[in-house]
Amino acid sequence: MSEQRPNVPGEPEDARRPRADEPSMEWIRDLKDDADDPELHAVDPAVSQAYGAILEEDEAAGPAAESGTGPQPAVPAAESGPQPLVRFEPGQEPAQQQTSGEHPLGGFGTGPQPVVGTGPQPVFGTGPQPVVGDRPVAGPGTGPQPVVPAAEERPGTGPQPVLGDRPVAGPGTGPQPVVPAEPEPAGDPARDFVKALAAETDPTVTSPDVQAPAPAPVPAPAGTDTVAIAAKTPERPQPFAELGMKDEEYQRVRAILGRRPTSAELAIYSVMWSEHCSYKSSKVHLRQFGDKVPQTDALLVGMGENAGVVDVGQGWAVTFKVESHNHPSYVEPYQGAATGVGGIVRDIMSMGARPVAVMDSLRFGPADAPDTQRVLPGVVAGVGGYGNSLGLPNIGGETVFDACYAQNPLVNALCVGVMKHGDIKRAVAPGPGNKVILFGAGTGPDGIGGASVLASATFDEESQAKRPSVQVGDPFMEKLLIECCLELFHADLVVGIQDLGAAGVSCATTELAAAGTGGMRVELDAVPLRDATLLPEEILMSESQERMMAVVEPAKVAAFLDICAKWEIPATVIGEVTDTGRLVMTWRGETIVDIPPGTAADEGPVYERPLAPPADLGGLQSDTPGRLTRPSTGDELRRTVLWLAGSPNLASKTWVTSQYDRYVLGNTVQAMPEDAGIVRIDDESGLGIALSLDGNGRYTRLDPYAGAQLALSEAYRNVAATGARPLAVTNCLNFGSPEDPGVMWQFSQAVTGLADACQYLGVPVTGGNVSFYNQTGSTPINPTPVIGVLGVHDDVRRRVNMAFISEGATLALLGETREEFGGSEWAHVVYGHLGGLPPKVDLAAERALAGVLVAAAREGLLSASHDLSDGGLSQALVESCLRGGLGARVTVPGDGFVALFSESVARCMVAVRPGSEGRLAALCEQAGVPVSQLGVIGGDSLQVSGRTAEGEQELFSIPLAELRETHESTLPSYTS
Amino acid sequence: MNAARVGVITFPGSLDDRDAARAVRLAGAEPVALWHADHDLQGVDAVVLPGGFSYGDYLRAGAIARFAPIMTELVAAAGRGLPVLGICNGFQVLCESHLLPGALLPNAGLHFVCRDQRLRIDSADTAWTAEYSTGQEIVIPVKNADGRYSADAETLARIEGEGLVVARYLDLNPNGSLNDIAGVRNEAGNVVGLMPHPEHAVESLTGPSTDGLGFFTSIVKRLVNA
Repeated sequence: MSEQRPNVPGEPEDARRPRADEPSMEWIRDLKDDADDPELHAVDPAVSQAYGAILEEDEAAGPAAESGTGPQPAVPAAESGPQPLVRFEPGQEPAQQQTSGEHPLGGFGTGPQPVVGTGPQPVFGTGPQPVVGDRPVAGPGTGPQPVVPAAEERPGTGPQPVLGDRPVAGPGTGPQPVVPAEPEPAGDPARDFVKALAAETDPTVTSPDVQAPAPAPVPAPAGTDTVAIAAKTPERPQPFAELGMKDEEYQRVRAILGRRPTSAELAIYSVMWSEHCSYKSSKVHLRQFGDKVPQTDALLVGMGENAGVVDVGQGWAVTFKVESHNHPSYVEPYQGAATGVGGIVRDIMSMGARPVAVMDSLRFGPADAPDTQRVLPGVVAGVGGYGNSLGLPNIGGETVFDACYAQNPLVNALCVGVMKHGDIKRAVAPGPGNKVILFGAGTGPDGIGGASVLASATFDEESQAKRPSVQVGDPFMEKLLIECCLELFHADLVVGIQDLGAAGVSCATTELAAAGTGGMRVELDAVPLRDATLLPEEILMSESQERMMAVVEPAKVAAFLDICAKWEIPATVIGEVTDTGRLVMTWRGETIVDIPPGTAADEGPVYERPLAPPADLGGLQSDTPGRLTRPSTGDELRRTVLWLAGSPNLASKTWVTSQYDRYVLGNTVQAMPEDAGIVRIDDESGLGIALSLDGNGRYTRLDPYAGAQLALSEAYRNVAATGARPLAVTNCLNFGSPEDPGVMWQFSQAVTGLADACQYLGVPVTGGNVSFYNQTGSTPINPTPVIGVLGVHDDVRRRVNMAFISEGATLALLGETREEFGGSEWAHVVYGHLGGLPPKVDLAAERALAGVLVAAAREGLLSASHDLSDGGLSQALVESCLRGGLGARVTVPGDGFVALFSESVARCMVAVRPGSEGRLAALCEQAGVPVSQLGVIGGDSLQVSGRTAEGEQELFSIPLAELRETHESTLPSYTS
Repeated sequence: MNAARVGVITFPGSLDDRDAARAVRLAGAEPVALWHADHDLQGVDAVVLPGGFSYGDYLRAGAIARFAPIMTELVAAAGRGLPVLGICNGFQVLCESHLLPGALLPNAGLHFVCRDQRLRIDSADTAWTAEYSTGQEIVIPVKNADGRYSADAETLARIEGEGLVVARYLDLNPNGSLNDIAGVRNEAGNVVGLMPHPEHAVESLTGPSTDGLGFFTSIVKRLVNA
């Protein structure tokens, strides 16, 4: 079966069909009528025969077909197995523990953050408050005063949700993941009771402009933890530790509320204060991106929103962001990767933009490791399966193998969107009386606790047991959501909008409310459920995909719901904005949440964790690659060129990228394996953008400050190599446990390095994502900041790509080559060696080189351009020859080994158009960029000669056919 | 003289509808957006069913779209000679609608495949291929998960015998299609289905070639001369 079809084995077909009573789906009745039409039973013999063949194949494939690397069933495993329920009845053991990690929603916090304590542990003392910088710090005791909810609040008196004239529950339109009949959990009267209730309360259909009649008061099941009960039972023990909260954090919640939290409130605080959502360990460092933001007019929306927005000229704005989905992708490669793409796309949508492309940066264990062969195909199929079905071209990224990522793959997905300046949207909920609408997929039990339980837990043997926590994606629903949102934006029906990702409804409501007028009332009963037995805590924490939340003026609700109906998107009013400063949620008529939303969304704990260089760093740095035997003869160099070209990291990634649609939307000017992906924005003017995503964990392991700068340098250079002007930066910071001082030191060094370099290069960080706890046992991954750089092409028709296509064109090398092999591909591939120092960072040289490349492209001086990075000149030559199908005759000066394999920065190989050599030389001289002639393009082999004091002599020659075979056969040999 | 009007149907999950409209425009015709839930072809002179994953293709590619309201009108109009081109998912819908013989199955390798594909035009006497010559080789992208053309032996013999194969894969069969078939036509030649994407090879800037433009100029020329 194909990756595109998350079919549910054994599921009755009707269950996946739209409901026949939906107004917009009347034609489905015809389909049912057809079922009774004997003529239509005559199945095309070709179809039946062929499907018979498929079934046989599937059977022959046996268990492999169900291994999780292929098509994934749409049924969240959670629904058929034991569920990681998070409940708060005393004495009950929560299914999972440990919290924090990465978060697709919040962006980096901005503005003054309350700091609690200065040590590794938060301190909620009453003494002098710690101050970070010159900012005032809110501390314990200064929070909101205890509020005891009005005791007279009773069922039926709360705000009534206005129900749209469409289904408010159920799978809605597309083939939704369907909840199979689930065995009743034995001995759970509360659950049974809820289930019985749900059967009676079939969602009623009413017109949006008619207030729904007050539903018959439905009492909450016994044991429901209400605000009133919480106020009366301060001593009731609560499972905060199992939810990953520290005692100090729990006490702080009690101080904020002036009572113990209800179980629903505890759910909210536990996810919102998790590492994943609150950035509590990283905040103090990430602040540098704001403090050191370079002077630029390009930044329209900075950090803190779902994604930053930059001005690319001609009235167009671009928003882009990269985000991790590492841990879910290890547990369930297909769905983990797929929902990673889905999440970042919704971030981009929620800024008001049309998503126009995606990229993916992937890291796996060794290519030949059995587990890599499980994870890699599933991740690639998931990235492709989701992105392809959404109609977003995948324009580039990385696929890297290293033993440090075994059992901890990195799956970082980037999305970029475009909009006109006036169309930018924010995640805010202003205007009391405005309605809060939840639209998109129904809420099910998938991913419950994912934010705090799954995303952060360090992997160990138990991780296989976490399968149910990974969300399941429905790209068809997301495609409809994209079109629906764009139409809603176009009709100006939205005041504020937020996507639902990690922490689901908890996150969306608290963040929207905190950024708006400050209050919100939510009727949790109105949330459309895929599983009617969900308890409020589960509804709040569910990470069901393909959901959005909008704030809409009352007069526009009907129009809003009409557009949703056109796209067959279920939409439901679940509450409204208030000016009370409180987020109040009711369920079954009881008030179960009453909190100041800012305390959950923005005022989480902040830690300054201890930092110390890893104990082994000195030893690593002093173990330089100088001791490694180098190739010297022509034959040895030849073998090394081929060895590297066929090594997993440098080999052709066509096996991966051919599973991605790079053409859809018709604006892809270039995609992988080019240095940067390029997308046209404006058909007329040719305005477009270039994007590159790069990281190097080995460099960063050797020197995290330099490593982050080197990743930035490479992405910046890649964008410039196409002729684009680098404009802005996004980043995904993949690190081990922040509780490990060595990791935290790496993190702080990397962030400081990145912030300093961005400031120097004049490219602001617009947003990003932190992923901690990437480690197996006590061994962290190599610190891996993945940096995305966005550049602008005023006219994409002037872009330059890497292909050698002009026979006889002069090849030149821009930049200076030094003997730099620390962390190099050569040392890694040939010796498995990691030691010494990475190549020297030279930001001034990068800036000068970029200036030359942009000017040369604009003036049309170049017929090809390829940046030098991993594998050095050798690899650049291999790639450019194979890309264009033409060979080259090259002469390298001095030590052929250094010339071919060194990874010195700020270098680019260019093919010069005949007659433009002088002009290029002048540009280089003006910018202070060294330029040297390398040779000429032509022939059907790569010929390399050396030039020494004794003269020039041929070192080796490799036919392109041999190069191609070596370069292109590696990945298929591991993955077939 | 008014430009020819070519409709492009958008189903929920259609993805290449804008691209098809762009190709129509570049060929000199006016693209007309048609909506799956309407019963109105808006008097267009020809129709393109674009690529994508209609209804997510969760059931079987094209199997649900085939029942969309607009398909009733389309099937009737195609029977009266309206030129119809189905690309990728559109081809699947046409097969599901029995406007074309055969079926499209999951790719032999069970992967989505996206590549620049060399094809040979085997039937240049259709409404959509008149600008090519029989035997002409072109390069356009192929990108699909369910592109393996299949038919029972009798149907296949008939297709081949009557010259209904419009294009075949050269060099490499990307999906295991029988007889390397990349596209087929009906007997009348007004309905053509093609797995590869000519609409993604209409500009040298964004495509591997401009070889795909001929499908759209063919129909425009025919409509203008009609």
